[in-house]
Amino acid sequence: MSLTHRSLLVKIFLWFWATVLITAAASVITFWVRAHSSPYQWHASVIETTRISGETAIQTYEQSGPVAAARYMVQLEHRNLQNPCLFDQSHNVLAGRNCDALADMLPNLTEPGVPDFGVRFGVARVALKLRGASGREYVFAAEVPAGVPPGRPRGPRMTRLGYALQWAVALIVSGSICYLLTRYLTAPIFRLREAAHQLASGDLSARANSRISPRHDELGDLVRDFDTMAARIEDLVSRQRQLISDVSHELRSPLGRLNVALDLARQRKGDDPAFDQAEQDTALLNEMIGRLLTIAKLDVSARDVPMVQVDLSELLHQIVCNANFESHPNENRVTLTVESEVFVLGNPELLHSAIENVVRNAIHYTEPGTQVEIVLQHDAAHSSARIQIRDHGPGLPEAELTNIFRPFYRVAAARDRQSGGTGLGLAISDRVIRTHGGTIIARNAVPKGLLIEILLPEQAVGTPVPHL
Amino acid sequence: MNRVLIVDDDVQLCRLLSERLATEGFTIEAVHDGVRGLERALSAEHALVILDLMLPGVGGLDVLKRLRMKSPVPVLILTARGEDVDRILGLEIGADDYVPKPFNPRELVARIRAILRRTAHSSSTSSPLTAGDLRLDPHSREASLSGVLLKLTSIEFTLLESLMRQAGQIVSREQLTESVLGRKLGPFDRVIDVHVSNIRKKLGASEHSQRIKSIRGSGYLFAMRAES
Repeated sequence: MSLTHRSLLVKIFLWFWATVLITAAASVITFWVRAHSSPYQWHASVIETTRISGETAIQTYEQSGPVAAARYMVQLEHRNLQNPCLFDQSHNVLAGRNCDALADMLPNLTEPGVPDFGVRFGVARVALKLRGASGREYVFAAEVPAGVPPGRPRGPRMTRLGYALQWAVALIVSGSICYLLTRYLTAPIFRLREAAHQLASGDLSARANSRISPRHDELGDLVRDFDTMAARIEDLVSRQRQLISDVSHELRSPLGRLNVALDLARQRKGDDPAFDQAEQDTALLNEMIGRLLTIAKLDVSARDVPMVQVDLSELLHQIVCNANFESHPNENRVTLTVESEVFVLGNPELLHSAIENVVRNAIHYTEPGTQVEIVLQHDAAHSSARIQIRDHGPGLPEAELTNIFRPFYRVAAARDRQSGGTGLGLAISDRVIRTHGGTIIARNAVPKGLLIEILLPEQAVGTPVPHL
Repeated sequence: MNRVLIVDDDVQLCRLLSERLATEGFTIEAVHDGVRGLERALSAEHALVILDLMLPGVGGLDVLKRLRMKSPVPVLILTARGEDVDRILGLEIGADDYVPKPFNPRELVARIRAILRRTAHSSSTSSPLTAGDLRLDPHSREASLSGVLLKLTSIEFTLLESLMRQAGQIVSREQLTESVLGRKLGPFDRVIDVHVSNIRKKLGASEHSQRIKSIRGSGYLFAMRAES
């Protein structure tokens, strides 16, 4: 199956994969960002360290003066606190070097004890408002190198190849898992579709379950329901077929007896026009049963019609010969023009009866002294055979043109009854042509008359087909 | 011998037919099931067997198959229209001709007469026909290939005989249908073609099966000489 036919598989697969990849990327990014922010515990300990250092600095400042405080600051710098600074309430520097770099944090401080924390150029910066033993307020600020949590040395840096490998493995693993999951979900759907397709094309024994290991989820239920439905349809259709064949037998048996009885009666009582009428009617009944059966068969089992290569010009020639022989042996009422030889794939008997029905209809309606014209052409645009059958009769009202292909449809009852037609001829033609994948349409000819056009798909050149 | 056996499960139809055919001078024996039908058909008391393919129990095709193993008696099969597959199968198994059901009794009588005339015609003495090691004796209606008797049915014999009599000429399907089956060729009449293919099968791998040539669109020809 081509990719386009599997768009559901592709869609589900891509969505799954995208979801997995996006989730993975999101968690990677989160960890990365958190590594660059401060893990909570480290954050707290930095603040605590700063607070204790700050309180000690204030104590030193209040008890021993600015010089001692400055010395303490230098000590702090050796203990991992960079650039410690002590400010008074109005943000004047009391101790520390290079305190301007921290001055921007000071306005953010409001309450004593509430720290301001920030990360700048990979360095954590903390500022705290603290109260000294004298009751004066001070501000202590310091910087702590971030990203290197104490005691955790950074591992060796990964090479580019390493990253590529990592990503490739991630892609392959996630991709194959997603593919398997998708297959698991969509496989029954494809099987169902395949089975439904087979069923629709007439293979009533098609089942979906036989090819799927039993599943107990909703998809499994769906498959089982489908199979139940298919079995039911198969049963109904086979009963329908049986009915058709029974009807054929049962209706025809009395008809057969009637025929023999009529013939006996004729022998005993001599010729009587009543016998002729009765014989005609039994023949008509038989014809109608036959045609109804043809229609029913075409509707039920069009797929089973055996198809061979059919030479349309030969077929038409035969029909024209028969028609001319039967209608008026002395005048040719039907003419045939073969513009090009066309072969189609079809059932010769069905095609013969389909076209013959149209021709008989045309002969019936064409005005005395006029001819029915049949033209066989090759329609390159549709790669089809085009058969046109035109009479010179009264034609039809536009609204009736499509109705004439319906069973038992009669345009004008009075006009049609006398023909002795079954009312099924064109309905059969329509079904036969459609069974062959063709079209049949009726339209009015100019100046008058009916034109019936049959298009039949041409047989592809080189298709190996047995010739009968 | 104008005894005709009819095997059909429709009892009333058989009764009517007996009555009708009696006026034509035939004696009818009617049997209504396949087993009994086969038994009676094998009795060699009848000039012709009319066999309905739709029989309860043992079907018509089975009866025909078993009958043909032992007897060349002419068989006319009755088939419902539309059951083309059964009809062709019946002819392949060895039926002589078919009549679609329901039939006109006059047509049935005509078919019976045609078949019987053909069988009667054979009693006229004429010299045996030979082509290579294929030999037809119209008098005894026996055909043999290299001295081995060929089990040809009556119709197959007549068909081969008419082809050999006109060896080297194309005999049209219309002509063959008329001379062999005694009726006109119908629009999709494949009876003659089935019989020809049956004869070819019985001639087997011998050169003669190649000598009956199909001439597309016109008919058949028995080649004067086998091509090497």
